[in-house]
Amino acid sequence: MRRLARLVVLHVWRQVLAWSGSWWFLLTLVAGQAIAPLIGLFVWSEVFPGDPRVASYYVALLGVQIMTASYENHTFSEAIYDGNVTHDFVKPKPVVIGPIGENLAIRAWMTLIGLPLLLVVGFAMRTTYAGGAVVAALPALVGAAILRFLFTWVLALAAFWTERVHAVVGLGNVLVFLLGGSAAPVVFLPEPIRTFAEASPFRAMLGLPAEIATGSLTATQAVEGYAWQLGWIALFAMAAVVVWQAGVRRYTAVGA
Amino acid sequence: MAAIEVDGLSMTYRAPLRDAGLKAALASVVRRRYKDVHAVSDVSFQLEAGEVVGFIGPNGAGKTTTLKVLAGILHPTGGRVRVLGFTPWQRRTAFLKRIALIRGSQPVGGPLELTVLDSFRYQQLLYEVPEHDFRANLAELTELLELGPILQRQVRALSLGERMRAGLALALLYRPDVMFLDEPTIGLDVTAATLTRRFIAGYAERTGATVLLTSHYMADVQSLCPRLILIDKGQVAYDGPLEKLAADISPYKLIRVTAPQASTDDFAGVGEIVERADDTWVLRVHRDDAAQATARLLGTLDVTDLAVEEPPLENVIDQAYRGLATPAGSRS
Repeated sequence: MRRLARLVVLHVWRQVLAWSGSWWFLLTLVAGQAIAPLIGLFVWSEVFPGDPRVASYYVALLGVQIMTASYENHTFSEAIYDGNVTHDFVKPKPVVIGPIGENLAIRAWMTLIGLPLLLVVGFAMRTTYAGGAVVAALPALVGAAILRFLFTWVLALAAFWTERVHAVVGLGNVLVFLLGGSAAPVVFLPEPIRTFAEASPFRAMLGLPAEIATGSLTATQAVEGYAWQLGWIALFAMAAVVVWQAGVRRYTAVGA
Repeated sequence: MAAIEVDGLSMTYRAPLRDAGLKAALASVVRRRYKDVHAVSDVSFQLEAGEVVGFIGPNGAGKTTTLKVLAGILHPTGGRVRVLGFTPWQRRTAFLKRIALIRGSQPVGGPLELTVLDSFRYQQLLYEVPEHDFRANLAELTELLELGPILQRQVRALSLGERMRAGLALALLYRPDVMFLDEPTIGLDVTAATLTRRFIAGYAERTGATVLLTSHYMADVQSLCPRLILIDKGQVAYDGPLEKLAADISPYKLIRVTAPQASTDDFAGVGEIVERADDTWVLRVHRDDAAQATARLLGTLDVTDLAVEEPPLENVIDQAYRGLATPAGSRS
């Protein structure tokens, strides 16, 4: 276990170094992740001009979006396509450590690069947060980061079967945008979509931390949100194991 | 116990088929057709610990597929394979720590932005090489492979030859017991290829590692591998010493003789003239007649130089690939 933890740290460090020369590219990734929350911010601020929670929610959502972004369809799936994944198959370590390391490294860089944007927008919109609510939202942020990785990873594993993995992950991202609280805060969605969205994994991986940070949820609603999030994490972790095993079986049978 | 045991190994791929045109494309959506492609069929061989064996064959013969099965990347459709007592495709950590797969086309994996030394440190942790051994091995590899100037350079900025040297060193840092080398000198210049061959031979000799090598360069096979396994259309066509293959396929030897006073008539009845350059003649004679022909030449001509040679390995292998001869399949 200790060796595994050291390997994860080493992988993160290697990827932080590897991505250090790509800050222009990272800037475009941050811009790409920021567009949807910023559009939501401007649109819904016009709809509810007197409600300061809208701006606070979307600025928090912007932070969640940047800190939980996942690109396994561009990183790991490409390694499947170009055959480089076989390098990892013959190494004495779980293959998933590599994608985890790269995911965390990209997020660390994006957070660093996106922080000025977050501060500027926050100050410009005069957003305020209660310290207790922000602290209460931190576990949800970690959960969202884990869930978003698992979600993208499971979809990215489609690369074992198809060369159209970007379409698969793109569909997943559209669902996150529509039902996760980016197109509209989940509370603004009409019934029955709202009830569905509240229980969906998409809100758990995007809107939930922002809702808790802005104090939009009662204690009961927050606990329910956490329960859903933990459930989805467990489910996607199991799905990741099953799909991975099936994918490796296929890959090692046909060489993809 | 043999280091590598392969018994009845088979690997069959299921490849989709369809005719050309839109109609066939639409029909294939609802009714898919497949064809079984037998990449490897009933292949059997054994490698004892410390053996260096060349695994050759024409393109598509099944070499890389076999190598991938032995390294644990592919799960075969049939047969029994044991490498160091492990079933490779189970990819146990204890197994992976004792093998190395080096591909000439991609000698170094991982992020290319890191330096070679970064990659060494990563390898140290991955294979749990103690610090003392790490330093000693690195110093030795640095000297043997002339790594000093590239240790602090990014992998991305290395030439192909430098990448191969770095890849070899990375693979050998943890002293693997079995090495699978897939075209280790592909794309390398003469100097780099020679250095690579010399290093592999030296490593195998020093450590007693088992080496299975695929290559299209006969110089690799000739300089490294006393034993050859020839695979064709997924089946073992020959398994034995290199010299025996040459003898089986080409029952001739070449006599290269330099005789300034000689004329074409002097070689009548001795052998077939296959080449002439200035005063040097190359004759093709049957193996059994080589000694007699040599004595006759030395007795009848004013010879300044004479050498009896095996036919070039490229020619022998080419003949084997073309199926011009049927080599004996047994290992001696």
